[in-house]
Amino acid sequence: MKKPSTVKGLEYWRWQEYQRIMPNMKWSSKDIITAGVDVGSVGSKAAIMINGQAYSWGITRTGSNSPESASKALNFALQGTGLKASDLKYIVGTGYGRVNVPMANKAITEIACHAKGANYIWGPSVRTVLDVGGQDIKAIRIDETGKVVSFLMNDKCAAGTGRGMEVFADLLQIPIEDIGDISLKVEKEPEPVSCTCVAFAKTEAMGLLRKGWSKEKVLAAYTRAMAVRMANLINRVGLERELVITGGQSKNIGVVSRIEIILGVKTLPMPRWRDDSGLDPMVAGAYGAALFAKALYEKAQKA
Amino acid sequence: MNKAALEKKYTPEMPRKEIDELRSTIKAASQRVIAENIERMKKADPHRPEAMKYFDDIADLFGQRQKEIQAEKEKGKKVIGYMCLFAPTELILAADAIPVRVNSGWYDTSKLGDRVVPVEVCPVLRSTIGAKMIELSPFLEQSDALISVLTCDGMTKLSEILSDYKPIWGMNIPRVKDSTQSLRFWKDEIKHMKTQIEKFTGNKITRKKLKEAIETSHRATKAFRRLQDLRKGPPVIMGRDAMLVNQAYVWDDKKRWTEKTEALCDELEKRLERKDWVCPPDTPRVLVTGTPMFWPDNWKLPTLVEEANPRGIIVADEQCSGERILNDPIGVDEWSMDDMLNAIGERYLMASTCPCFTSQDGNEDRINWLLNKVKEWNVQGVIYYVVRGCMLYAMEYTRVKKALDKINVPIYYLDTEYTREDVGQMKTRVEAFLEMLTARVDF
Repeated sequence: MKKPSTVKGLEYWRWQEYQRIMPNMKWSSKDIITAGVDVGSVGSKAAIMINGQAYSWGITRTGSNSPESASKALNFALQGTGLKASDLKYIVGTGYGRVNVPMANKAITEIACHAKGANYIWGPSVRTVLDVGGQDIKAIRIDETGKVVSFLMNDKCAAGTGRGMEVFADLLQIPIEDIGDISLKVEKEPEPVSCTCVAFAKTEAMGLLRKGWSKEKVLAAYTRAMAVRMANLINRVGLERELVITGGQSKNIGVVSRIEIILGVKTLPMPRWRDDSGLDPMVAGAYGAALFAKALYEKAQKA
Repeated sequence: MNKAALEKKYTPEMPRKEIDELRSTIKAASQRVIAENIERMKKADPHRPEAMKYFDDIADLFGQRQKEIQAEKEKGKKVIGYMCLFAPTELILAADAIPVRVNSGWYDTSKLGDRVVPVEVCPVLRSTIGAKMIELSPFLEQSDALISVLTCDGMTKLSEILSDYKPIWGMNIPRVKDSTQSLRFWKDEIKHMKTQIEKFTGNKITRKKLKEAIETSHRATKAFRRLQDLRKGPPVIMGRDAMLVNQAYVWDDKKRWTEKTEALCDELEKRLERKDWVCPPDTPRVLVTGTPMFWPDNWKLPTLVEEANPRGIIVADEQCSGERILNDPIGVDEWSMDDMLNAIGERYLMASTCPCFTSQDGNEDRINWLLNKVKEWNVQGVIYYVVRGCMLYAMEYTRVKKALDKINVPIYYLDTEYTREDVGQMKTRVEAFLEMLTARVDF
């Protein structure tokens, strides 16, 4: 896949919506074809699985209407696969809008789904998952099967989340997908901004810019503050290796590398999601949901 | 009265028009909340016991009970309100007065309380202040005097603020429980309170009257425990229904409450025989502990747990808005005045598991009580509920968690506020916790 497209107009926050179909995979009507639809506050993700293997997925921006966003994401994932929605044996909805996924047979929280999805992407060695979503962050401890052992969630404010990063992309006029790299282009790491609240951090950042700080330095200070907040949450839930990061911010190298430095722990390598065969950690919740869908379908068949 | 006596030391002067307008708006909203809560509770259990009808009615804070108390007041009875459970209600009853608890569960009034104290202060207190400012709470308004037990810092200062409106009798409760001097001190407080109540009501608390009042409490405790025991097995009553019954005790007529609770238990026993469960017996069994949850608005958590997907059922709680109200009987040896007062003192101090206490081994009573509850009520997960600003419960969490970790029972710390804004977020937390409890079965 090519590098993300250039910014349209002045929408620096806009990240790329894309669809993927895994090469060399075929399906037949005998297969257990399931789907997971993860309607987050910022992005909607849908994944199709064939017998528990990721086949295709789509990522779109969540609109003001959850049911529509869910359909949009699912149709996106189905596009070009030859599959129809009616071919799906079981659908699990997850994410903030999980109760508003009209085609879902069941809703499961994104906490359980990200746990399961992280286990799917990285394998049984994962014990701690940090999911940085659009409007909240969650630190989840899991066992070797991907089951949740305990979890913590930040409170209702959007600090340290994907949405906060979008706000900063606009403020600094840097395309969102370059934000991680640019935040690392500082000779010396500056002090983190003191406010992690998005509204106040914005004011603080504007002050720093007026003081003559470069965009890179301001971004580094903000990213650092976010990373501290996320690392605190991980420490509170209790860090056990291996650690992985899911959700949109897993793609922000500025956040990931800072968390690694603060915690003194490497995260498991990021799958090559830009390549044709790589799984995408932003879709972890949808993968997990599709796996639960398979388990639930099989359970229902047995009953 | 002279002008100085009318001057409020803490709270702002509000124009009568504003008070009346705010009260009528918030009261109307509250009545809708009450009706909605009851409706949802009815829906949750298709075979809801007949006896719940009585408690649904008594749950209307602006309804029957308010009118009854008003009628008694007109006949000359005094109403004595209280905040913390340590107020010796038997003494109030023995003086022919009416005890009512006046803590506020209204979300909307906590915003008014913000005009008096900062938002960092516990919302239970802010809400009580706000309710007083607009004269919303029937029972607080009807109270002729208030007993304020100085438990947490918030309660201590709340009593000062409420002194703008009512006579306040502070009771100084010792923080170290397991010492003879503490108990001696507290017993003196109880004796002093007896004199205070007698003077205020003009009624002498006789030996006979006090014995009667203690016996009334005994019968209530018996019914109360019977109800909690019925929650030990496969569920025959929704947690919310039981919690409402428990809480209604603090404003209801004690004898009638006992009668109605016994009737409810009779029904539940039949239900148990019929094996007519309110939900599948494998529904995750949850215990709630932490900050008290007051009717009507702060019914958020129990509603979420019992309407979640997957669903949970609350089988027990360890809260002063719930099982702490009546769990412990007053242990009288001889029915002499002295012995009865001593027994009252011991019951209120020694039996309480409020986190305001400490002892040689920290608040060990609370830990033991929780572990015992978890075991006997077959609890699968504990929700540790804390509102922001509730420091004592927040600080005791780590110890409780360690104790539960040891016996391998999951616990989840849920912090919230007096607001409806975080319901979506709380729902995700609660559901993820319940999924964790059911995961072993499902996947």
